[in-house]
Amino acid sequence: MAPSLKQTMLLAGLLLGLLAAGCSRRPSGAPPGDDSAADAATRDGDEPQRADPTLTAVTLQLNWYPEAEHGGFYAALAHGYYREAGLDVKILAGGPETPVLQQVARRAATFGVVNADNILFGRAQQAPVVALMAPLQISPRCLIVHESSGIREFDDLKNMTIAMSNSNAFSQFLRHKLPLPGVKIVPYPGNVAQFLLNKDYAQQGYVFSEPFVARKEGGDPKVLMLSKLGYNPYTSLLFTHDDQVREHPRLVSKMVTASVRGWAQYMRSSDEANAWIHRVNPQMELDILQYGAETLKPLVLDEVAEQQGIGAMSRARWQTLADQLVESEQLKPDDVRVDQAFTTQFLHGEP
Amino acid sequence: MKRAGVRLLQVALPPLAFFAAIVAIWQLATMLWDIPGYLVPSPGRVLGAAREHAADLRAAMRLTGSGALCGFGLGLLAGTAMGLLFSQSRVIQRSVYPYAIFLQTVPIVAIAPLLIMWFGNGFGGVVAVSFILSLFPIITNATAGLTLVDTNLLELFEINNASRAQTLFKLRLPNAVPHLVVGAKISCGLSVIGAIVGEISAGFGTESFGLGTLINMATSKLDTAYAFAAVICSTLLSIAIFAAVNSIGATIMARWHIAPARSSTTDMNA
Repeated sequence: MAPSLKQTMLLAGLLLGLLAAGCSRRPSGAPPGDDSAADAATRDGDEPQRADPTLTAVTLQLNWYPEAEHGGFYAALAHGYYREAGLDVKILAGGPETPVLQQVARRAATFGVVNADNILFGRAQQAPVVALMAPLQISPRCLIVHESSGIREFDDLKNMTIAMSNSNAFSQFLRHKLPLPGVKIVPYPGNVAQFLLNKDYAQQGYVFSEPFVARKEGGDPKVLMLSKLGYNPYTSLLFTHDDQVREHPRLVSKMVTASVRGWAQYMRSSDEANAWIHRVNPQMELDILQYGAETLKPLVLDEVAEQQGIGAMSRARWQTLADQLVESEQLKPDDVRVDQAFTTQFLHGEP
Repeated sequence: MKRAGVRLLQVALPPLAFFAAIVAIWQLATMLWDIPGYLVPSPGRVLGAAREHAADLRAAMRLTGSGALCGFGLGLLAGTAMGLLFSQSRVIQRSVYPYAIFLQTVPIVAIAPLLIMWFGNGFGGVVAVSFILSLFPIITNATAGLTLVDTNLLELFEINNASRAQTLFKLRLPNAVPHLVVGAKISCGLSVIGAIVGEISAGFGTESFGLGTLINMATSKLDTAYAFAAVICSTLLSIAIFAAVNSIGATIMARWHIAPARSSTTDMNA
């Protein structure tokens, strides 16, 4: 029973209609690709506080879906610190493959959020990116193992499976640092399902996320912090393009100061920022965000931050990280450019 | 002999000249507009990265290639078997075929992590993803080849009281060979894609990395030149497998296939 010409035409028309509807749906100005990012962007745009001509519009590109490790930036947005500083900040959600460094390096985004090792890799490839403030003094990166496995420290890791992303610098550091006899390393699956099923299984995580989910699902996670092993890159760094620092130091200064304020607020009370994060990333429930904010406190407010203020960075820490990356054969000694990787000039108010 | 040499030149020269032109324009563009290497690396830098990491790339090509070939081989066997089943029973074909289409439409990147959960990390998982991607073109082409048989010939077999098995092996199967070759050509390229997608989710273990993993690692370090080199290696791998399948297919068609398809055989060789 061959379809008649009329039927075929009808079907073709239907398809064309669908196509047209699909094309017209994308909001103008939203980045193509990741739909959740587009949604998050439009939702931010729908807030009452929009398009004020006296404000300078800037974008902040995140390295992951909005989560607690971005909390302070959302606090600055939710409490209006960015607006008070004269900035109309649009936070763009990231994901697993978001090219954050590239976006900032080609000035498609004004500011970005990455970890310190990313900045050093970027500088090694001559990307003009510079870190401005480090909200997380202590890296939340961890491995989770089963409490019942008897594993208490990194040296106990043997004859098991560890799920961690090969492309992540800490994973290569771990492989160089530890003997790991009989350990099979597999890619990070992005959830804790395998962990719950398999006793001889460890996986990477952020201390305020994977352990919480695993416990909620009835698992018995034991946390091993990478920072205890000495690998401790500054995390959720705010960074920008070299030219931005040179051409618009006042703008950069405002962004840094308001972000530091945001992080201080997030440490005092996280409710409003968490509500905002939950709105743009509904996958993140309020309970896990609250747990995240609590768990972040000792990572953000360590001794250094108490003395020098939130966001402080030291050359010694950057140099240690660079040495570790060289040692684990991820950076060539000639490519290390520590002094270009960061600046503390904006951390203490107006320049 | 001399004629063959001239002919080879005629065939090889245009694509080589085109390739040289593209590479020259690419190199010139990166120099002229001063495009940073982490955005678009120049051909020179890609070549440099390929040289520097030659050993890793070679090992990765071997690993990815073996994963792809296993997936493709299994796909060829299973796909042909399903085609045979479909050609023998309309009921089975009608009830199962719609689900075979599922293989074609399923977003492989999304279900790769699930396949890994079922088939395990490492080689098994990689082969599973490659197999799923290779299977569908074989099933459809095998089924078409086995069922779309000239009715006159079918009637001829019937008049001569040919058994079901005789019809299958003497008529349907030879008829299916050109279709199977086409299916194999489509799916061998897909098997490499499957292996690379599989590697990204499944990995190959602690010390050895496939091309998919290398691409991921290079990209995360902004080493775009190395990522380009690995992508080019994936393409070369696909081309090598395709060329092998193509020549095996041509040999089978030339040696074994019955007369009526000769014209199409020469077409394929041309």
